[in-house]
Amino acid sequence: MDDEPIVRWYWIGDHVGYLGHLLADHAVIALVPVLIGLLLAIPLGLACARFPRLYQPLSAVFNIVYALPSLAVFVVLIPYTGLATQATVMIPLTFYALAVLLPTTVDGLRAVPDAVRQAATAMGYGPWHRLTSVELPAAVPYLIAGLRVAAVSSISLASVGALIGRGGLGYLFIDGFQRTFPTPIVAGIALIAVLALAVDLLLVGARRVLAPWAVREKGAGS
Amino acid sequence: MIRFEGAGKRHPDGTVAVEGLDLEVPTGRITVLVGPSGCGKTTLLRMVNRMVEPTSGRVLLDGTDVAELEPAKLRRGIGYVIQQAGLFPHRKVIDNIATVPNLLGWDRKKARARAAELLELVGLAPETAKRYPFQLSGGQQQRVGVARALAADPPVLLMDEPFSAVDPVVRAGLQEELLRLQSELHKTVLFVTHDIEEAVRLGDQVVVLREHGRIAQLADPHTLLTTPADDGVAAFLGRDRGLRGLGLRPASAIALRPVGDGRKDGPEGGPTDGLTHGGWELTLDDERRPIGWIDRAAVTAELHPVAGFHPDTDTLRTVLDAAVLSPAGVAVALDTEGRATGTASREAVLAALAPGSSRPGAARPGAARPETARPESGGPGSGGPVRTDKPATGDAPDAGPADGAPGGR
Repeated sequence: MDDEPIVRWYWIGDHVGYLGHLLADHAVIALVPVLIGLLLAIPLGLACARFPRLYQPLSAVFNIVYALPSLAVFVVLIPYTGLATQATVMIPLTFYALAVLLPTTVDGLRAVPDAVRQAATAMGYGPWHRLTSVELPAAVPYLIAGLRVAAVSSISLASVGALIGRGGLGYLFIDGFQRTFPTPIVAGIALIAVLALAVDLLLVGARRVLAPWAVREKGAGS
Repeated sequence: MIRFEGAGKRHPDGTVAVEGLDLEVPTGRITVLVGPSGCGKTTLLRMVNRMVEPTSGRVLLDGTDVAELEPAKLRRGIGYVIQQAGLFPHRKVIDNIATVPNLLGWDRKKARARAAELLELVGLAPETAKRYPFQLSGGQQQRVGVARALAADPPVLLMDEPFSAVDPVVRAGLQEELLRLQSELHKTVLFVTHDIEEAVRLGDQVVVLREHGRIAQLADPHTLLTTPADDGVAAFLGRDRGLRGLGLRPASAIALRPVGDGRKDGPEGGPTDGLTHGGWELTLDDERRPIGWIDRAAVTAELHPVAGFHPDTDTLRTVLDAAVLSPAGVAVALDTEGRATGTASREAVLAALAPGSSRPGAARPGAARPETARPESGGPGSGGPVRTDKPATGDAPDAGPADGAPGGR
């Protein structure tokens, strides 16, 4: 190990296709749960904004789920969803994403200025209509801020899935560790960082497009 | 017409916001509810569009109890303007204005066309349409708020301290704009404010409220200022209410002293006409526009500034102010071209106040706006509204006999 260089470039050159495959797998495993989490967080968040009593118990549940170690959850799920399947890794990641996205959604819906809410009511929006066409669009910057946190943490967490045989780039860490060969580890870290950065930039861009009116509000919701 | 019949609001915790109010808000007029915070004025306003449900009594809109109407439908027929404008941050100005037409299911093109029309009506430039609310000044946002409230042409307009959050100069511009709009649109306006000055300026009818929505006085602004119902109302009106009352009387009530033709045909070519006032002489240019006052006793022909007014649109307050500011103690009446048409001394203003010599409220309702002499200030960037209403006649109609105004010897 002492004479082993940090990176052997030829190994990377030889394994471009393999690395690409792992990267794609990693992206799917990490980001599909975030998308599903978003699709669940929006209706749940709207319900919590409409019926505030829902929010406390729901957020308590998701906080507890968030506190569970991912590996433990994987192990619990294996009998139902199978070893080394995408589902086994993606189900807990979905809950983690939801645990981040639900509070940001609710915060975003609540952050709409009272004057805006009252004006909407006074113009003849019903409570649900107002939530979906005034408060929800106004909460987009918050949603995107939540998505950035959820996406990056999901990309990082997904590698743990390698321990049960489905972790995308995480497999490179196990491989490198078992062979005391650092090159795959470095490659995995670099690719994970690149993936996280790319997704983050994409979301920043999405914010520009979806909420051009919010460019001034720096750091809203984060 | 909006009618409150014993309308009261008791909160679930037992506190009383409004005890039970009887009030008629006449059609096509501006009724102002004014009072200190906690007097229930906003609660009363919101009873009209059912954002607050009265716990006793009822509110009738053109004879129908609003409680019988579906809230969303009712509200789409009532314009509503609030203090912070409450514009939707994620919608462009044009789409903000088109909100109610869109809710009513108008054709999108028609809704946008209507919104563009309203943008112009409230004095905003067409390019404002594509901006987002955060790109506008406070005054501009408030204009958009008014445009949005008017978009579906509702007969009733509720305004809850709409101009309180902008600076005084912008506020004055917005008030002026509201009076101009009202003179064209004749909406039934219920306006809430804590600012008695604003109430007196805008209201055809002013309702002074005490705590729990009790009416302390209901009167037209002139009556309110001259004969407050009791000491409490008088105190609320403030100490200079007499002076402020001048702001409600049209400047046309003054008997102007003519300025003559400007020719110096007195003995030895000296001035003999209306251009001299005491030791001061008014200098006009060839177009008869005032240039300045000259101190006849002074060696140098130094020009001192002239304070002018427009008899058809200004109020006695403006005239008195101009007369006080003038070195000669005389305000100069100007026509729309800025030409001098006569002069009014401080004494002439006071003479116009003599019983029977003025027509209180003649400048109202709506048609003429008091105090239009203030600087055009439609808010930063709005460029200010274009005045559309010209005085009916170019010359001062009251330029009567000179002896009516004992100004200067």
